[in-house]
Amino acid sequence: MSTMTINLKIWRQKNSNDPGHFEDYKLDDVNEHMSFLEMLDVLNENLIKEGTDPVEFDYDCREGICGSCNLVINGRAHGPKHMTAVCQLHMREYNNGDTIVIEPPRAAAFPVIKDLVVDRSAFDRIIEAGGYVSVKTGAAPEANLIPVPQDTSNIAFDYATCIGCGACVAACPNSSASLFTGAKIAHLNSLPQGQPERDKRTIAMVNQMEKEGFGDCSNFAECEAVCPVGISIASIAEMRKDYVKAIF
Amino acid sequence: MPSFTEALQSQVGRKILTGLTGIFLVLFIIFHLGGNLAILGEPDAMNRYSMFLHDMGPLLWIARIGLLAVFVIHAWLGISIWLRKRKARPNNYAVYSSKGGPSKQGLSSRSMAFTGVVLLIFVIFHINTFALGETQTVMIDGQETHDIKSLVIDTFENSALYAFGYAFVMLLLGTHLGHGIWSAFTSLTLSSKKASAVVYTIGVLLAIVLAVGFLFIPLYIYFGGGCDAALINCN
Amino acid sequence: MKLDPKIPSGPLEEKWNRHKNEINLVSPNNKRKHHIIVVGTGLAGASAAASLAELGYNVSAFCIQDSGRRAHSIAAQGGINAAKNYQNDGDSVWRLFYDTIKGGDYRSREANVYRLAENSNNIIDQAVAQGVPFGREYGGLLDNRSFGGAQVSRTFYSRGQTGQQLLLGAYQAMMKEVHSGKIKYFPRHEMLDLVVVDGKARGIISRDLVSGEVMKFQADAVVLCTGGYGNVFYLSTNAKNSNVTAAWRCHKRGAAFANPCFVQIHPTCIPVSGDYQSKLTLMSESLRNDGRVWVPKKKGDKRPPNEIPEDERYYYLEERYPSFGNLVPRDVASRNAKMVTDDGMGVGSSGLAVYLDFRDAIKRDGEDVIRAKYGNLFDMYQNITDENPYKTPMRIFPAVHYTMGGLWVDYNLMSNIPGLFVAGEANFSDHGANRLGASALMQGLSDGYFIVPYTIGDYLAGNDVPKISTDHDAFKEAESTASGQLDKLLAVKGDKTIIEFHRELGKIMWDKVGISRSKEGLESAVEEIRNLRDEFWQNVRVPGEKNYYNKYLEFAARVADYFELAELMALDALDRNESCGCHLRDEYQTEEGEAIRNDKDYSYVSAWEYLGVNGKLETKLHKEPLEFEFVELKQRSYK
Repeated sequence: MSTMTINLKIWRQKNSNDPGHFEDYKLDDVNEHMSFLEMLDVLNENLIKEGTDPVEFDYDCREGICGSCNLVINGRAHGPKHMTAVCQLHMREYNNGDTIVIEPPRAAAFPVIKDLVVDRSAFDRIIEAGGYVSVKTGAAPEANLIPVPQDTSNIAFDYATCIGCGACVAACPNSSASLFTGAKIAHLNSLPQGQPERDKRTIAMVNQMEKEGFGDCSNFAECEAVCPVGISIASIAEMRKDYVKAIF
Repeated sequence: MPSFTEALQSQVGRKILTGLTGIFLVLFIIFHLGGNLAILGEPDAMNRYSMFLHDMGPLLWIARIGLLAVFVIHAWLGISIWLRKRKARPNNYAVYSSKGGPSKQGLSSRSMAFTGVVLLIFVIFHINTFALGETQTVMIDGQETHDIKSLVIDTFENSALYAFGYAFVMLLLGTHLGHGIWSAFTSLTLSSKKASAVVYTIGVLLAIVLAVGFLFIPLYIYFGGGCDAALINCN
Repeated sequence: MKLDPKIPSGPLEEKWNRHKNEINLVSPNNKRKHHIIVVGTGLAGASAAASLAELGYNVSAFCIQDSGRRAHSIAAQGGINAAKNYQNDGDSVWRLFYDTIKGGDYRSREANVYRLAENSNNIIDQAVAQGVPFGREYGGLLDNRSFGGAQVSRTFYSRGQTGQQLLLGAYQAMMKEVHSGKIKYFPRHEMLDLVVVDGKARGIISRDLVSGEVMKFQADAVVLCTGGYGNVFYLSTNAKNSNVTAAWRCHKRGAAFANPCFVQIHPTCIPVSGDYQSKLTLMSESLRNDGRVWVPKKKGDKRPPNEIPEDERYYYLEERYPSFGNLVPRDVASRNAKMVTDDGMGVGSSGLAVYLDFRDAIKRDGEDVIRAKYGNLFDMYQNITDENPYKTPMRIFPAVHYTMGGLWVDYNLMSNIPGLFVAGEANFSDHGANRLGASALMQGLSDGYFIVPYTIGDYLAGNDVPKISTDHDAFKEAESTASGQLDKLLAVKGDKTIIEFHRELGKIMWDKVGISRSKEGLESAVEEIRNLRDEFWQNVRVPGEKNYYNKYLEFAARVADYFELAELMALDALDRNESCGCHLRDEYQTEEGEAIRNDKDYSYVSAWEYLGVNGKLETKLHKEPLEFEFVELKQRSYK
């Protein structure tokens, strides 16, 4: 098992009012099987022992599904690997002596709380605007009453698998939230259960996305490249189609 | 439900409108290139083409105003998207790089605002030079008309600045269209997950053909020596 | 302390319906006047918050994550059980009930489990209507897969992300009510105490994790849906923020803690690779449908797995349990993994792993079929271990996964503190001594969608809950207790980090209160926990301050609670002189290593009352006898 020395350049920011700055750290004995976040845990253990405030970053499940983690590493959301959330990134991707720059996702709609932790409640509000099927508990019909073609169900699943991490926003040169919004619209609008509210949902979510201060989509498709679950930009096309249908 | 105009101003509406106007402009550019290539045809082909346009009378003006409107809308949308992007990310990354793979980020897509603005300025010069420029008259079929062909040849034969300047801007046009054509199709949802790669390739090829088509003429006139050039027949 | 389970009378099949017909109702006009706090937004919390708001109650929903969608329910992979019998394989509510109560080794209430099985079908209907994309057959109807502990195929799934899809369904239902204004939503908030006024739960103390402010919230009832306490072991499959604090603080306010020693150790996790490890990753149990578990017959055999010939492989589950084979319940699979590794047959560099081999399944069905079923799990395994499971067998080992124990509740899911309801993994109610696969999602949603919304109405209609203000002394006292504990932690300024203490505590728990337990080991665990706890309070170093975002301060407070809970778990395990479900006492097993249950002396729920911590945990055991009228208690056999 090989160990390495890693140089870190990490964004430190006390709170949303602080302008923030980079801080350099050096970490020895990094094990290649460590996850990236475990490497940061070790850094924090060292900082705590030195009496310095540890680096704050968001994480929870550490298995790539909760969507809490969202670091931008050397300019790439979730780091160098495709289809990988940063909690699933391992240090074997790096070499001895590498310098790694870690920044928070940068977007006006995601204000920094502390260091690498940002406020993504804008995503909650986009869902709140219409990302649901209005079915009251107990009012549901028998599950097999409406058959859903397997392909349709699979497509809906592919969109529904979004983990809401915000990497799409972080990576988009325009800070657009179109992939996130499009994915939820495409998920619900593709299913028979989502039809009654299709138009209302599409309009409301698109409007909310704009209101939150996310930028426009310029079809860079960078969002798809960084998405840890590989949501396709076809979801954005679905959103546009349904938006046009809703208007006419 | 938002009204139609409100819908046009939404993020989705803006993008669809950008795509629509973009495709219209691409169609115009293809048409324009056809006119330019007339310089390589029969001696009076280009001026005939010019005369044909002028003979359209009010229709030409409607077309001109329509084209101008489309162009202005496209430019305005592009600039407003760029301004919003600045607002949406007030603090930039210290390090930023594309992750590759399905990403369409590159020189072309990242420079859309820049190439767009250059094209906007260029168009003003271009209209000033050729549409409003002083021309000789020439007789065709007993009718007096502008000798646009001579103006073009004179302009490019005698000025390295014009010849190379035009060629350079046409490279930027190609760069703009490299992302633009694909993006327009995508915005208009005419692309799909499966067709994406094909649409992108066709877009890039079309952009190359258009850019090469346009930049060929000024350079050819300059290096070929105007009417002395093999493919240009002045008499 | 009085523990009345309040189980309705009558035949098992009629209890729940009869109960619903008889309980008090709150009229629509009056519902509007009530305020209910829901803590936690996992499956139980989000579904309860949404359902209560739909009924007309004013709800405040709290969660520690930055969004309700991140609760750890999201990580459940395999599926959710329901007795739909779509496969025509003879399934029924009764069979689901029977499998679940047998799977729990007869340490749960018949009435609760039966109700769970009854509700299971409604959950599937609800989820489908919400747009949850379950796996479907070509004809467009819902598909099922099989899971451990059952001989029918009744598990509904969304590829390997069933928990995610069900949680997003519940989260979206909750956000719909946030939009309607019936739910006030408090993400990045951590409950630090329960406020009890005149013996009733009347509010919570919560810390805004962004500003650090400790705040008071008043309500007519509190629903605790804060999950399990598996992280007491430090390494577990739980999310890093999963914790016992909210439940433990309720315990300290008088709520009984039931069966704390019942901890499920999941058999199919990726083995530990080093000291730096922060968590363990589960591989869905569904893998056991096609994977075969084996170890080399020869002790210490270091050959690569593919070079070990067939006759030198020990398919220990298939050999010992011919009728269930690799699909034995989780506790049985975990215990057997421990036995073979204890015998020196373990594999991998640490010797603490067994193989889960897909060679034969790939040979039988082709790699494409296996990829379609488990592709994402295989990718995850390869990403973590850097090994290709299509070519080399996976290495797996048990890991702490779920806690069946939790706050004691009656049939109405109300704790012994009136007005404090507990739902989902946070309560002890339905899984007995062992939970079957695909039952956690079922329980969380059954509690949240279909039980609490009814029973809370019964409580509010039948009890006087006068208006009170957060200026009440009880609120002030709870606020200063919560705030004071944070100050106390920050003031220690010792030399050892929180994680170092937590890791040490976890090691004691894993070694002595883990897969198998002995009287001797448990007694020494109690001693070690007490000593380490004392050291913690003298030597922990908590960085920063409390008036801003400070994750390590959150951790410190949680670890402080684990130190008390850990002792209770060991004491509970010591009290239970039998082996049942996941609780294996070395002294009570057959020569072949099968558990010996003692129904005569231990057919009860252990409900512990908190009396204080003074060097040692002062606690008092209350017993709720378990009566079985409808099923015959048998020695569980999967042979």
